[in-house]
Amino acid sequence: MSIPEVKEKWSARVSEVTIGATPAQGGTRARTVTIGGAGGIPFLSFDGALPHPPAIAIDVLDKQPVGWPKPLEEVYGDVWADPVQWARRAKELGADLINLRLTGIHPDEGDWPPSKAVEIVKAVLEAVDLPLIVWGCDFPEKDQRVMPKVAEAAQGERCLLGAVSQTEYRTLTAAAQAYGHTLIAASPCDINIAKQVNILVTDMGFPLSDIVIYPSTAALGYGMEYIYSILERGRLAALSGDKLMAQPVILDVGFEAWRVKEARADEEMADAWGPLAYRGPAWEAVTATDLLQGGADLLIMRHPEAIRAVREAVGQLMQGDGK
Amino acid sequence: MIIFSERINGMYRDVRAAIDEHKADVIQQLVRHQLEGGADVIDINLGPTKGDPVENFVWLARVVHEVTPKPLSLDSAKPDLLVQVVPRVRAALPETKLIINSSTAAPESMGKLVPLAVQHGAGIIGLTMDQEGVPGNVEKRVECGAAFLMTALEAGLQPDDIYIDPIILPINVAPKQPWNVMEAIRQLAMANEPPPHFIIGLSNISQKCLMNRLINRTYLVMCIAAGLDAAIMDAADKDLVEAAVTAEVLLEKHLYSDDYLRAWRMQKGL
Repeated sequence: MSIPEVKEKWSARVSEVTIGATPAQGGTRARTVTIGGAGGIPFLSFDGALPHPPAIAIDVLDKQPVGWPKPLEEVYGDVWADPVQWARRAKELGADLINLRLTGIHPDEGDWPPSKAVEIVKAVLEAVDLPLIVWGCDFPEKDQRVMPKVAEAAQGERCLLGAVSQTEYRTLTAAAQAYGHTLIAASPCDINIAKQVNILVTDMGFPLSDIVIYPSTAALGYGMEYIYSILERGRLAALSGDKLMAQPVILDVGFEAWRVKEARADEEMADAWGPLAYRGPAWEAVTATDLLQGGADLLIMRHPEAIRAVREAVGQLMQGDGK
Repeated sequence: MIIFSERINGMYRDVRAAIDEHKADVIQQLVRHQLEGGADVIDINLGPTKGDPVENFVWLARVVHEVTPKPLSLDSAKPDLLVQVVPRVRAALPETKLIINSSTAAPESMGKLVPLAVQHGAGIIGLTMDQEGVPGNVEKRVECGAAFLMTALEAGLQPDDIYIDPIILPINVAPKQPWNVMEAIRQLAMANEPPPHFIIGLSNISQKCLMNRLINRTYLVMCIAAGLDAAIMDAADKDLVEAAVTAEVLLEKHLYSDDYLRAWRMQKGL
């Protein structure tokens, strides 16, 4: 009996985005990270080549986080008051990129001036030679003052800057374009808006080839399936030739996974749910590996055990690729 | 939607005069308008022009090609003329994708034109009619379409290079035909996986009709819902093109966004 041919023939592929720049390219990074390029459904290498395994960025905050659960405190507690030390730790733990969040600039979180944000970004760039992702505080008026300064200070480093949205995109897009950075295009769990943001940004003259889609993220048990279906639909559109959906995808897994009850409740639930030291990283790892199946190219993560588990799973799924 | 521009046709007086007098700039200006509107393929048809038709075809193909590298559809109802024209245009424009427009499902016509398409790596449009003429019903259209498709596939053409044209006639002459054409598309699309393309010469439906643009637009949308994915039409008719894109969005051929018309244009590099 013959086995029916089930291979899909895709007419297009996900575009590639390279983050970071080496000295030869005008930056100071030791190496760059290229994401995207998939020519088929995730981990079905017979459908189409998957040239780059998903990259992992480790979260670094510009100031000591509030309310992070114990498993994370054990890993970062001794360095998290200092973003430079924290970034060094992230590199030691095997991060492909540093994901720096400017939380202290938020009016309710410290209202730091742009100069302080610039100082921190420069210090992190100087201390750690990995490619850098920088997010504003998601308070548009403030981000519009801070992010252009950050973009200027990091000129040449080809950072990934976030995030533009359907309503707030002009300032950051212009800054990213002026100073040679790539851009995160965010949408609130809505694939039509994801496409719309790309249209708006491109219409300003920003190259589609420098955009990374952030379709928002949800943790296991908290609506992950909605994100999953958006990832899947977006990837099918990309592979079928929709150039405005062909950008690689970034997911904020660590942030989402570590704020749900299952990854936070400690002794009070240990009898029923098992120890948090295992449960927390497991929640992050499972959220990440599930979402990777939908089609994601860059994950922001937190716990080293979760990262190890994800890399192991990816390694198994990609075994035999390139043969 | 694969848009074949209908405009470079000697049936139009301006085109006829331009061909007769070899005025390249008139043709090229029209082609530019069609490209700006979203044309993917430029159909060229001499109509009742003077001179040697083979030489005219080659001249016209070169003139169009000077403006765009896009595929050319060589349009004539005379198989013997196409047999002469295709090799000449192929030799003149070796890199250009050609589409032969058209063969019928009559063995004599297919016997000449299908091997010609295979030999020159061309696409081909097959009319759902045979030596007995245009069918008045669905069944005969489906029968002719299936016969043409089978012949073309057996000769080695890929489904992507095969276009089935169920032949639309003017609404003021043949009022039952619009539905017959749609139904034939639906049945042929269902029976073949992967399906060939389905195409119509759209403007024919509204010949000598007062409300021709509205009729074209409405019928194109209806046919897209039945499975049509190509049309020989006026790409410079913005309302028409936008109605087609909208129909395709509503069938989820494109992902919706508020600016889906702009997205469609961006996608085409317009």
